[in-house]
Amino acid sequence: MTDIKYMLLVSRQGKSRLMKWYSVYTAKEKAKIIRELTTAVLSRKPKMCNILEYQDHKVVYKRYASLYFICGINADTDNELLTLEIIHRFVETMDAYFNNVCELDIIFNFNKAYNILDEVLMCDGSITETSKQDILRHIATMDTLETSDNLNKVLS
Amino acid sequence: MGSLRTFIKDVRSAKTLADERLIITKESAKIRTKLKDDHLPLDKRRKNIHKLLYLYILGEKTHFAQVECINLIASDDFRDKRLGYLAAMLLLDENQEILTLLTNMMNNDLNHPNRYVVSLALNTLGSLMSPELARDLYPDVENILNHSMDTYLLKKALQCAAKLVSRDVALLEIFYPYVEKIIKSHQLYSHGVLLGVTKLCQSALLSKATYEYDDYPTILSSLTNIIPDLFSLLQDLSSTNFNPEFDVNGTCDPFLQVEILYTLRLMFEAAPQETERYLDKLNDMLTQIATNVDGSKNSAHAVLYECVRTIFSLQLDQSLKVLGVNILAKFLSGKDNNNKYVALNTLLRVVPLEPQAVKRHRKFISRCLFDVDVSIKMRSLELTFAILDDSNMKELIEELIEFLEVSSEDDKDLITYIVEHTIDLFEIREINDDEWKLNIIVRIMKLVGQYISVEKIGDVLIMINNAQNMQFKTETIKKILEITVGKSKESVSEFNIGWKLMSLWSIGEYAELVLGQSNITDVDLTDYLCKTNNIYADDIKLISYALTAALKLSSKIQTASCIEDLRQLINSHLTDTNLMLQAKSSQYSILFNQPAQRKHAILEAMPLFTKRTKSNSPGPEKIARPTKPVETNLLLDLLDDIPTASENSNAVPDLLNDTLAQERNTSQHSNDVALNVNTRPENAYKNIVEIPQEASMLYESPNLQAFSEVSSSVAGEAKLEVFIKGVQSISNLHILAAVAKTQRLTLGPLSSTSVGRGEVAKQHMQITGSGKLKLRIKVSFTANGQADAEQFDHKFDITI
Repeated sequence: MTDIKYMLLVSRQGKSRLMKWYSVYTAKEKAKIIRELTTAVLSRKPKMCNILEYQDHKVVYKRYASLYFICGINADTDNELLTLEIIHRFVETMDAYFNNVCELDIIFNFNKAYNILDEVLMCDGSITETSKQDILRHIATMDTLETSDNLNKVLS
Repeated sequence: MGSLRTFIKDVRSAKTLADERLIITKESAKIRTKLKDDHLPLDKRRKNIHKLLYLYILGEKTHFAQVECINLIASDDFRDKRLGYLAAMLLLDENQEILTLLTNMMNNDLNHPNRYVVSLALNTLGSLMSPELARDLYPDVENILNHSMDTYLLKKALQCAAKLVSRDVALLEIFYPYVEKIIKSHQLYSHGVLLGVTKLCQSALLSKATYEYDDYPTILSSLTNIIPDLFSLLQDLSSTNFNPEFDVNGTCDPFLQVEILYTLRLMFEAAPQETERYLDKLNDMLTQIATNVDGSKNSAHAVLYECVRTIFSLQLDQSLKVLGVNILAKFLSGKDNNNKYVALNTLLRVVPLEPQAVKRHRKFISRCLFDVDVSIKMRSLELTFAILDDSNMKELIEELIEFLEVSSEDDKDLITYIVEHTIDLFEIREINDDEWKLNIIVRIMKLVGQYISVEKIGDVLIMINNAQNMQFKTETIKKILEITVGKSKESVSEFNIGWKLMSLWSIGEYAELVLGQSNITDVDLTDYLCKTNNIYADDIKLISYALTAALKLSSKIQTASCIEDLRQLINSHLTDTNLMLQAKSSQYSILFNQPAQRKHAILEAMPLFTKRTKSNSPGPEKIARPTKPVETNLLLDLLDDIPTASENSNAVPDLLNDTLAQERNTSQHSNDVALNVNTRPENAYKNIVEIPQEASMLYESPNLQAFSEVSSSVAGEAKLEVFIKGVQSISNLHILAAVAKTQRLTLGPLSSTSVGRGEVAKQHMQITGSGKLKLRIKVSFTANGQADAEQFDHKFDITI
């Protein structure tokens, strides 16, 4: 079962680039998690495994170029290896959307990154769609809807 | 006001943190003012919210815009709606009351003719599902499930339904039929929809415990109806050669495969009877996947790992379990650290179920000790101790020592873990092979003595002291001291304080075993003590060990110059600024000058130590400290709770028993110490205790009689003696007593812990406080080889 508690994107300099919370946390808890995980993840050596135990749950992270993707997952039910694949699917989808995604794309188009993430994960961080094409197609249609002034004209 | 792009650029180009702060605060204030303006056109509003979301990512406060994003949702423009819903999902959470404002809008949008508007609303409902929204909007979700033929909306509606069920279990009745209905209607077949179906099914299965109505069996049988469908899906997925849309490094949609496996696992757990007929098929399925999956990529491993978890959660066939362990072993033997991590983690849970199968892969487990990742090392260490048994113990310990040889400061936690567990292991398994045991301990001390805590060194010393075989003991001491005084090829690091402590202790205790038997002379030992005294003058622990060693050594050697050196050593601390060292030094200097014979008697070798129980603290001083007043207080509270306790309630006596049990341990322990130190010759009392004429009988049983005599009672204080007379021979006698809450009890020593037939033990008690005098006494003892306890109450005619 995928039960992702949060997905954080943090740059190598420790700056937050995207955050999405699938479980309810107070602002204080969120700040603490971001602070502690940024330190913990950034200080890990490349050869170490991508899983760590944190608070009452586990954290799976993966680095892509200058960005770290950090996921909090349920310690018992979530499949750590699969979580890595979910991160990878998300990255691949963004890569296709932005045509070779880089950190700057995400910084300046964070709302697009959120849109894509919302097609991959829903509700309590549960995986919703695994077809990259499917996601890209829907995102593209929504983008065309945005450029059209009149909503009713583009109804399919 | 600039665009979002300029704002982001400005923030990024800030030279200092202070600059960045300034830009952000300014912009945040601007956005706030703008949003307050009711006449702000929608596109400006959207721009501001967009900027605000950037602030959100930066971790800034954004609460002031919560209502604004709801306003955006109300717009007819898709751009506004899209951003509004995104902002709502990010800025709000399901605990906020403001969500009720969304109800109407979402209700409209869920029924909107445009699928993307519906999809936005479904997404938002999924992430902001307050109980109110769940209650108000579930009919809309059901409507979609019922009527929509759009897989894009169906998959999202299914995810929402799953969450609705987990939020409000009563909704299960409404949503469960869609699991079967949708999976059987093949025109709706898409991976997204299937993910949604498995999710809803999981949610339905997980709510078994909380579902209140009695039709759960019906629900369950409807859910189990889809097992064949899940099987054939899994079969298709695992045998599909290549499907570009869902392929992940050679595995077809691992996400869906894992979800199906997990759903099946829940299904078999929740309905063992209904699923029994499918069990064989499941076994075949899992075997097939486990053998078919080409396992070199992470995606394949994710599926294999899920199979293994299913095998062990469901406790499937022996052959499958072995297969599972083998898969994990394969993970361990590979290069991927994540695989190693999950494998070790799972194996730790599997060891109790399949010890033999796990043990077979010992080699791979030990190899992980040398990994770069500390969490992998730690797990492999835990696992090593978990699989350790008599047959592989020596080999495994040898491997651990190999690890210690290459360990460094960074591995301190691991080293401590190894040392503690090895010492415990020797105790628990009662290893009697002294040669091996001492050998291992000395090697460990040599390698990592500096990381071992003083308490654990104490355990090591006890182990050396208690070694039965004199030959090995002597050889060990010889080896230690040869290294220490530099007469061996081996050497020990200067920083190895643990080793030094052990050497000092050995010089004091066992010098006579090596002097004259080896090339170690009394001059060597004396020199070493003096050297330590000079070099480590600021290490109190070492110096105090050195002082004791000097004193003890002085009684074991003859060379006058050495004895003089030792005297100097002890005297050098007579004016030490450390009080403890000073006291030790002055006491020792007095002992030093005693006549040889007396000195010898005082400085005799330590007796065999009794094993400490874990909860007790190491030093005898600490153990001897009376714990009784505290215990009495506990009892006092208990007594207060149950004024007429003797005839009612079972729970309280249990509690009482617990406290008593603790008491018994500690008092027993202080007895052990007492025996060792031999300060209180117990037997001397035994025969002289007699019951005075005026004593009154409190209690009588087939085992014992109890009497008491009040020796004095004034206002506020009473002293009394309690006598226990053995009707038959009893041992391990302990007395516990409680008084009324207004009073306080101090127990004196018990004259004897065992009484023969007709013999008497005396217990002195002092009660202070006020009120009528009454006692509850609990006597625990062993009679005829059986532990027993008796309890009675007594009221005296005395008020203090």
